[in-house]
Amino acid sequence: MACQEYQELISDYIDGTLELGEEARIERHLADCDGCRAVRDDLLQIVHFSRQLPLHTPSSEVWTQLQTKIAAERPTHFGSRVAAWVSRLKNLELNLSVPQLAASAAALLIIFSVALIISRQSAETPSASSLAGRSGTAGMNLLSNAEDQEIEEKIERLRESVEQRRVTWSPELQVAYDRSIRQVDQCLATCRQQLSGDPSDQVSKDLMRDAYLEKQRLLEGFTKF
Amino acid sequence: MACLRQTLEMTVTAQSSQTMTDLELVRAAASGDAVAFERIYEQHRRRVYSLCARMLGNVEQAEDLTQEVFLQVYRKIGSFRGDSAFTTWLHRLAVNQVLMHFRKRGVKLEHTSEEGDFTNVVETPLQSTRRISMVDRLALERAIAQLPPGYRTVFLLHDVEGYEHEEISSTLGVSVGTSKSQLHKARMRLRELLSKTTSNAGE
Repeated sequence: MACQEYQELISDYIDGTLELGEEARIERHLADCDGCRAVRDDLLQIVHFSRQLPLHTPSSEVWTQLQTKIAAERPTHFGSRVAAWVSRLKNLELNLSVPQLAASAAALLIIFSVALIISRQSAETPSASSLAGRSGTAGMNLLSNAEDQEIEEKIERLRESVEQRRVTWSPELQVAYDRSIRQVDQCLATCRQQLSGDPSDQVSKDLMRDAYLEKQRLLEGFTKF
Repeated sequence: MACLRQTLEMTVTAQSSQTMTDLELVRAAASGDAVAFERIYEQHRRRVYSLCARMLGNVEQAEDLTQEVFLQVYRKIGSFRGDSAFTTWLHRLAVNQVLMHFRKRGVKLEHTSEEGDFTNVVETPLQSTRRISMVDRLALERAIAQLPPGYRTVFLLHDVEGYEHEEISSTLGVSVGTSKSQLHKARMRLRELLSKTTSNAGE
């Protein structure tokens, strides 16, 4: 094998990726060849110093402009982020096991509620228990059109149906149902609170409508048990 | 031996703490905590910017791309699952942004050297290995900037950023063999460029 062929293997040799036989062959060659040995030593130096290159610092302008872009994006970002979470709720598979169904719905709704509270930077945040204490039908006059009233009526019918089935469930299923409904009601209470402060808040209205739809889906899921 | 074990345990604990701190920051930032996002920026901006600057060889473009990377972080941080280190996730995002930048500008990374197959073996060794010194890190940076984009990308990912060939292969959409070949060609080209620098300095 000519020197050029050996030199083409030197990077793999340095990186330790040669087969044992090839490695032994190249080592024998390096022992006898000054030129190839010099190439090996030079490449080792290059690799060594490449791993120690310093980090460079961007100008402060990068952060300034980034903040401007983020500020411009923030309302949309919030809306699209929450929409993505609600969309995930809609795609929950009903053939999940009970704990998964309830846990997924509950976790996503918690995130949804927290995001809503934080992004609105409410000065006063009622306790979770006071939020959850409101019934599922309270504040329904905030959604006033016929379609929303239809949803509310459907939810109430579903809830009554589920409550009748609930007594026949295992304790685990009952706990999962109670936790899921509590979480979605907390979410709804948060939306109501936002709307009571600003009835024209279309984002909160949309989120509240979506939350009602998700409550409906959740109840429909539990009617299958 | 007990002392060594204790030292190792402390190191692992410190690393675990750092990892948990990263995750806590990410969760806070994903929840809208602006201070947490700023801390993430402060912790990672230099590495992201350095990668962009060396890949692109242009300060203004590198700053624009750094901004874009962190804007993507802001948009996507909620999707970070914690199944890899945050630094890994961020770094992949940065590399993808650089590659998208190259694609938009029609920069092809697949080409080999402009001379075709590599035949230009540098037979004269560098004057002395001591010539590649702390001072000549600057020469190395300049030499890296002179590499063709394909060589430079593979070299930076492997030798500077520590990627394995398999990861470079999947990131760039090339075979592992191509990644290894381009890495070797990049190193040999750097050797050639640095030997010219050394020769000029000696004149």
